[in-house]
Amino acid sequence: MALFRWGHSWDAFHDLEREVDRLLQSVNLSLSFQGLRFGRQYPPVNLYELPTEYLITAELPGVKSEELELTIANGVLSMTGRHISPEGAAEERFRRQERPRGVWQRSISLPDRVKSDNLSAEFVNGILKIHLPKADEVKPRQIPVAFGT
Amino acid sequence: MSNELTQTAKNGNTLAPHPPVERHVFTPPIDIYETDKGLILRADLPGVSLDTLELQVQDNKLTLFGRMEQSVPDNARLLHQEYEVGDFLRSFILSDEVDHQHIAAKLINGVLEVVLPKADKPEPRRIQVQTT
Repeated sequence: MALFRWGHSWDAFHDLEREVDRLLQSVNLSLSFQGLRFGRQYPPVNLYELPTEYLITAELPGVKSEELELTIANGVLSMTGRHISPEGAAEERFRRQERPRGVWQRSISLPDRVKSDNLSAEFVNGILKIHLPKADEVKPRQIPVAFGT
Repeated sequence: MSNELTQTAKNGNTLAPHPPVERHVFTPPIDIYETDKGLILRADLPGVSLDTLELQVQDNKLTLFGRMEQSVPDNARLLHQEYEVGDFLRSFILSDEVDHQHIAAKLINGVLEVVLPKADKPEPRRIQVQTT
């Protein structure tokens, strides 16, 4: 069972990835629940480019806006948050515990200059979407060429 | 959701109709814990909305199927990928302790919470023994 599958664009890495999966499974790590494997960063993020902005999406089911802190400095976006275990549920009452818990922190280097003042974020069905508008200088700019007389 | 359930029934109870494009099927991580009233099940289903979630109890099997929706515009170009869009599927066998008729569920921020109440144990009944 592969713990994680890369997309088709990563075919070149597929064999390596499978090999790493196999190695990790043979080590029989205790932390091996689906989608979150030792050494993998949490939360998993995707990065997209649009004509006027970059878009980061992160899988953060159950996280509320007030449990999340986003900061941006020197082209690095930092996300910090915590998964709160349900109230009134003592540890010994759990029959299964697979969902991630505790404090997490993740930093992402941004690919280009962004307008850090205009950063906006929203939660949609447990997916965090961070909109990072591109700074003006990275947009293509026409340079007028003057003819000398 | 009711439409989808009807459709499911027409398709001969297959929860996952074959989509035109191959989609990944993931097993969502779950928590199950006991309360005084019964069991609470929570499943992480990021990207799943009420419209794309099916929850079904058949006999003693509880099945959840959630379809993750692509939440980015069509013209977005993928630069880096760590998770894929796909479907969530997981089934559970319910014990007799669970009151099947009163299972309730809600979906909040991509987390499904299913309340499985304890079934009332029938009162002991005295059986009159007759002599002939």
